[in-house]
Amino acid sequence: MAIRTVIIGGKAGEGVKKAAQVVANTLFRQGWQVFQADDYQSLIKGGHNFSSVSFSDSEVHTAYAKANLLISFDQRSYTAHSEDMADADSLHVYNSDMTPEAVQEARGKTLGLPLSTMMKQIYGPGGNVSLAAVSVFFLWMGYPQAELEAVIAREFKRNVEDNISYAKAVYQAARQAGIGGSQIPDSEFPLISMEQSVQRFTSGNQAMALGAWLGGLDFYYAYPMTPASSILHYLALKTTTHKVYAIHAESELAAANMAIGSVVSGARTAIGSSGGGFALMQEAFSLAGITEAPLLCFLASRPGPATGVSTYTAQEDLPFALNQGHGEFARIVAAPDSPQRAFSLAAELLSLAWEFQCPVILLSDKHLSESSQNLTLPDEVPWARVEQGVPGSSYQRYSITESGVSPLLFPGSENIDDNTVIKWNSHEHLPSGLRTDKAEAMIAMKDKRNRKSPAISIATQRHERVAFYGEQGTPVFAYGSGVMELREARKHCSKPFIIVALIYLTPFPSEELSVYSGKEIITLEHSSTGNLDRFIRQNLDVSIKHSVLRYDGRPFDPLELAKIMEDIL
Amino acid sequence: MMRDLGTGKENTWCTGCGNFGILNAVKKAIGELVENGSKLSDFAITCGIGCHGKIFDYLALSGIYGLHGRGTATAQGMKLANPALKVISFGGDGDSLGEGLEHTLFAAKRNMDITLILHNNGNYGLTTGQFSPLSEPGYKGLSTPLGSIEKPFRAIPLLLEAGASFVARGFSARPDHLTELIIAALNHKGFSFIEVMQPCVSYNNNYAYLNQKVKLLEVIPTTQAHAIDLASDPDHVYLGVFSRKNLPVYHELLYGSANPQKDRPDYLHRQDILHAK
Repeated sequence: MAIRTVIIGGKAGEGVKKAAQVVANTLFRQGWQVFQADDYQSLIKGGHNFSSVSFSDSEVHTAYAKANLLISFDQRSYTAHSEDMADADSLHVYNSDMTPEAVQEARGKTLGLPLSTMMKQIYGPGGNVSLAAVSVFFLWMGYPQAELEAVIAREFKRNVEDNISYAKAVYQAARQAGIGGSQIPDSEFPLISMEQSVQRFTSGNQAMALGAWLGGLDFYYAYPMTPASSILHYLALKTTTHKVYAIHAESELAAANMAIGSVVSGARTAIGSSGGGFALMQEAFSLAGITEAPLLCFLASRPGPATGVSTYTAQEDLPFALNQGHGEFARIVAAPDSPQRAFSLAAELLSLAWEFQCPVILLSDKHLSESSQNLTLPDEVPWARVEQGVPGSSYQRYSITESGVSPLLFPGSENIDDNTVIKWNSHEHLPSGLRTDKAEAMIAMKDKRNRKSPAISIATQRHERVAFYGEQGTPVFAYGSGVMELREARKHCSKPFIIVALIYLTPFPSEELSVYSGKEIITLEHSSTGNLDRFIRQNLDVSIKHSVLRYDGRPFDPLELAKIMEDIL
Repeated sequence: MMRDLGTGKENTWCTGCGNFGILNAVKKAIGELVENGSKLSDFAITCGIGCHGKIFDYLALSGIYGLHGRGTATAQGMKLANPALKVISFGGDGDSLGEGLEHTLFAAKRNMDITLILHNNGNYGLTTGQFSPLSEPGYKGLSTPLGSIEKPFRAIPLLLEAGASFVARGFSARPDHLTELIIAALNHKGFSFIEVMQPCVSYNNNYAYLNQKVKLLEVIPTTQAHAIDLASDPDHVYLGVFSRKNLPVYHELLYGSANPQKDRPDYLHRQDILHAK
């Protein structure tokens, strides 16, 4: 079945993303596989935002740039997307009040509707033009008006009566103009019962937050920074129902140090930010290293350096993630290759962090973090367990063990007696947790910590460290949203290739990748200097035939990428 | 009888250092609180980096020796994850009002139910006596050889303005008075702050000055303005409680009477929540 795409464009503040969410959610509830991506700027009003919703009856891994239905709220959106019609059957509905210079498109059909005038007639001042997009979409899909009214009432809670009147008026006007009778095979509304389903429609950030919580997360500390902020927002919303506490701290430094405090008290804890904010967390990351604090860290990348480009995507932070913190200590770094993977990976990483008492990084990027996709809840995820110590005066926080892992106890917990002293220390320390600068003691403690590394490497093999998509052809290495783009492009590429999706980066999954030793590979990443290339070459003896680099902040369109792949394969 | 709170670790503070007075007062205060029913295992400590931080190594109490400036952030995280803990954050003046000023002010703003003991020795002792945010103008140190050209913060007015619900000042050479303040601070529900005037015998030996200037507050000032005036008095270093208010505490506003450490939903419970309608 073909893949269809709806694109909605307008100014910031016009509800573009919200309309796209309602469209995407409606499709999801109908049983479609849906992918929603939002292209927006770092501003509150004005500018140009657009959201793309691609859907099919099989999994859609990223959004398409060409639309079957395009809805523009203003001239800028109309002009920006006038070349973005998928085919001759595509339809561009625009707000004729705000589009003085409408021209016949190169292909497809156009329809101007006076969306602002109609809005004024119903609301007087104010109103919500984004409802018009939902109405047009419903009609285009052949969905009944009664269902439109129900969805509008559910999704747009302010001014419900006027909203319904406006949505109906646009639906009727578009019908009179001849839209409707969709070509898309459709079933009765709604197709699936959400209550009994294990399906959700979530963003990558929501998926990783929820997955971490299912794996045991109790506390999340952060300072807002796009594209990581929605982890904080999502968990904050879940405080009451999920008993998870999301704290917006005064800075990233505060967040990271508060988080380690909560770990000392026994809470499964995470922090998150984008590159700039994560840089501020670096010292605390090292604190987690020397104190052996299990800490889950979400790093959601955007173009850098420094403030960079706030609301667009990049994979520039690979070396930053791999080399986070100063000093030597064990850590795990992994990158989900889909929002679906983000759910299970977050739980895996939290569990590994507690098993080995080390900081772990879940590396994502804006396109993966903020785009939404169908999520199937897995039956099981790992649960973050604690290796408990024995309370009493002989307890030592950093007892020297063969595995390097020292059993834990938490101050103030029920099994703790008055003689138990649990001392964590940012200085190098003795097994008791008291500070030391003695040569032998330093060596003993470093060796203890370092002994964890081989075991971490073995333990990560319980999980899918590398995913392979495809059976034959040239291997194409990628990670994060690069994998999503390649999976979608592969549907349209006449030449075969295998996607080698790196999920665990540190420790490097040598066992899974040894088959590529001595082979030619291709790489794809959103970076200007080839971070992934360097990383692979350091760890694997391969010859890189071609590197596909993109660093304009935008994800690939699958058709565009398929062409690139055909050229280089 | 309560066990010894010492660790047996070699003490490396200078002879005559004000930190000894603080260490002894803390031990005595905790001893009295335990005698009156507090559980010793409910006390937890943290600190930053500097001479003050060494107190972590000299107190056989659980906690974490934190990063420079971040002790009070760490303390808040400890408290939030287990509100049964009585968390004491030890900070230096460079630590809590320089590197980590934001955490000090925000802990006060939130009325986080922890205690911050500020070891105010008016300089950076451990790094050989540079000026601190509380050093007086003209203070000469390695980084200000011509004398500091900055005005100092006044810790108590700053903390009052930030919203600290218990604010007091003690003197390391008045250990009994300091012990009383620490007991009051630990019994106080909400953010408690004690500025401890603490001579640094190596770089800022102000024993004589302090002994001459200290004066006990007779009553808690009834207005904030009066408290600020007294705390900033150029002629006296007033000792005592400047403010004590009963205000809602952060963790109870966040999760009521729950204790996240004891009440955390287990895996099966989480699965139920996840699949609930």
